[in-house]
Amino acid sequence: MLDRYKISFAKIALIASTALFLSPLGALAQTTAAPPSTRQSTTSVSKDRWLHVRVISSDAKGETVRVNVPLELAEKVLPAIHQDRIHDGKVKIDNAHVNDVDLRALVDAIRTTKDGEFVTVQSNDCDVRVAKQSNHLIVHVLDKQNSKKSEVEVKVPMKVIDALFSAGKDELDLVAALHALSTQGDTELVSVKDHENTVRVWLDSKNVTD
Amino acid sequence: MMLLAKAALTVGGTFVLAGAYTMREGVIRIDVDEYRAGGSHVHLWVPAAAVPMVLHFVPTEHLRHGSEQARQAMPILRAIVKELKKYPDTEFVEVDDHDEHVRIRTQGARLQIDVDAPDQKVHVLCPLSTIEDVTIQLEEHGPAA
Repeated sequence: MLDRYKISFAKIALIASTALFLSPLGALAQTTAAPPSTRQSTTSVSKDRWLHVRVISSDAKGETVRVNVPLELAEKVLPAIHQDRIHDGKVKIDNAHVNDVDLRALVDAIRTTKDGEFVTVQSNDCDVRVAKQSNHLIVHVLDKQNSKKSEVEVKVPMKVIDALFSAGKDELDLVAALHALSTQGDTELVSVKDHENTVRVWLDSKNVTD
Repeated sequence: MMLLAKAALTVGGTFVLAGAYTMREGVIRIDVDEYRAGGSHVHLWVPAAAVPMVLHFVPTEHLRHGSEQARQAMPILRAIVKELKKYPDTEFVEVDDHDEHVRIRTQGARLQIDVDAPDQKVHVLCPLSTIEDVTIQLEEHGPAA
């Protein structure tokens, strides 16, 4: 009787040990069998703000580029970069002058000005419009030179521009600008459309492009 | 029979413990295939748990050399990995050309980089915690340490 139990126990032990021996292989298969298929990202709709860039080329190759970056990640990583003109999340510019334009004075002037159109150019070649509207700086360019038109629209919240110029003299505070951007609602920042490419830069709470 | 069963249980138990530990940490997978004459074909599967352990056996001067070379990138890499761990599985970069595809994404707390081109295929899968461990160890052996 005792021998029968011993044999049964030995058999169970052998089966159990074989199962134990094989179980890591099963787990290994599970952990590595993730095929490089497309679109496996889970959608995250949370308080996280995501900056999206999408470039779609309409040429024969049909190139597409999609970049999704959480703003908080960029805010944390930028201060770690110390290279050339970028230090502590700030980029150095030469005397705050670009082509003899005092950027800081220009921003101050725009900030204190009421909503309105600052520049309006309408010609056979192109239309240009620079305006301040609902606390956003808007630049709109329509290029009519070629037979195929191209259109550029940039819409930046004034808070972001303020934050960008909030650092010391001759510096642009990228981290502050990103932080200001993260407090904004869903918005399209840049849109470029021409006969070859469509470019969109926008901000929302989703971690996937639409 | 009993002796065999006991031995099998011990060996099996050891394997399952080692396997469980390895699986908890994940596997580093590197696949490189170059489709040209004399091209390389590298297929590497390494338990991620082994990497920090192996680093302890690397001579200090070699670690210091590696740390010096990657000095500028280390804080950036560490900051990126630390932040990436907070987010769900995401496709961060996706480039699709006619016959070339590049993907950089996170999947189950692992960083996955896939490059598919006609002349080469590169697939890298590495647990974020392993990258963090390695950067910490390299920083500890850096010039300032």
